[in-house]
Amino acid sequence: MSFLNNIATKSPWLFRINAGSCNGCDVELATTAFIPRFDVERLGCKYCGSPRHADIVLITGPLTLKIKDQVLKVWNEIPEPKVTVAVGICPISGGVFKGGHSIEGPIDRYLPVDVNVPGCPPRPQAIMEGILLAKEIWLKRIEEAERKGVRHVQIS
Amino acid sequence: MFKFLKVLVKNILQGPATEAFPLQPAKTPDRFRGRVTLNPDLCVGCGICSHVCSGDAIRIIPNEEKTGYHYTVWYNSCCLCGSCTYYCPTKAITMTNNWHNSHKQDDKFKMAEHHFIPYLKCDGCGAPIRLLPPHLATRIYAHSPVDIEKIIRLCPSCRQIATAERQGELNESNPE
Ligand code: SF4
Ligand code: SF4
Ligand code: SF4
Repeated sequence: MSFLNNIATKSPWLFRINAGSCNGCDVELATTAFIPRFDVERLGCKYCGSPRHADIVLITGPLTLKIKDQVLKVWNEIPEPKVTVAVGICPISGGVFKGGHSIEGPIDRYLPVDVNVPGCPPRPQAIMEGILLAKEIWLKRIEEAERKGVRHVQIS
Repeated sequence: MFKFLKVLVKNILQGPATEAFPLQPAKTPDRFRGRVTLNPDLCVGCGICSHVCSGDAIRIIPNEEKTGYHYTVWYNSCCLCGSCTYYCPTKAITMTNNWHNSHKQDDKFKMAEHHFIPYLKCDGCGAPIRLLPPHLATRIYAHSPVDIEKIIRLCPSCRQIATAERQGELNESNPE
């Protein structure tokens, strides 16, 4: 079983949250996954459809007023240990929407972000670098949780 | 009937479409718009770059003693539009094709380029100025009889006076 566990812990599932992005970054995320030239699944990552299956969450967009509550709700659905990646300059600093009347971001005002991937949008390879960084953090967190004896962490 | 064999052979010969990245460096075009970078020797502190900056990534703040200014570009706010590069009159700010910007949250505010750029004194009136980059001066004064070496060390008003005086001298010695 421990052999199986070792394999399983190496494959984080990705989940995408659009916090009011212009769709540029979302397209790049899709490109990273679906275009054979980049193919993020080689890294053991896979996009999943439900936040409850996710390990690494990729957030795009500047967190608009309208979407804020939903984003926080979905983010809370993701089980610990999760790693949050901010993709694009929007979630990191507000980017080109900085100072807008409906912008609640930067996203780290509300969520603990772990990795930032700036760019508008970042190129797929940059996103892959970010995902690798996130994976590293994620593996560390799992190890920590295992050391503490937590196998299944409760969904908050 | 053997169409599929043809496709098979073709695919084998072609090799995989997937890039080897991250095991090998990714192919990056030379003109790829990545991080911006400033050449502090050429910057004259005009502020056009921060004025046109769509991402509000550039800060130019004079220090308290007014002996120079702090120039900061924050990559986490730069949308890679290239406006700064396009509008910078001296081409001090340029874009590199470095896109390796992913970083951990702890480094968020370290993802910036910072320069302290000191002012010089105008040779004429002592006002704080930046050296007019020689390549620009050569273009501006291409049809003017001024001494480029001297003119680049003057403030704009002193430059006007110097140019007018030099023109006057020439006109006197050469009335036609
Ligand atoms: S970072 Fe740029 S491309 Fe990405 S969502 Fe924001 S505006 Fe769109
Ligand atoms: S980088 Fe160029 S545009 Fe910006 S302040 Fe310097 S000279 Fe002016
Ligand atoms: S590339 Fe665009 S966003 Fe980036 S510093 Fe230059 S003007 Fe600002």
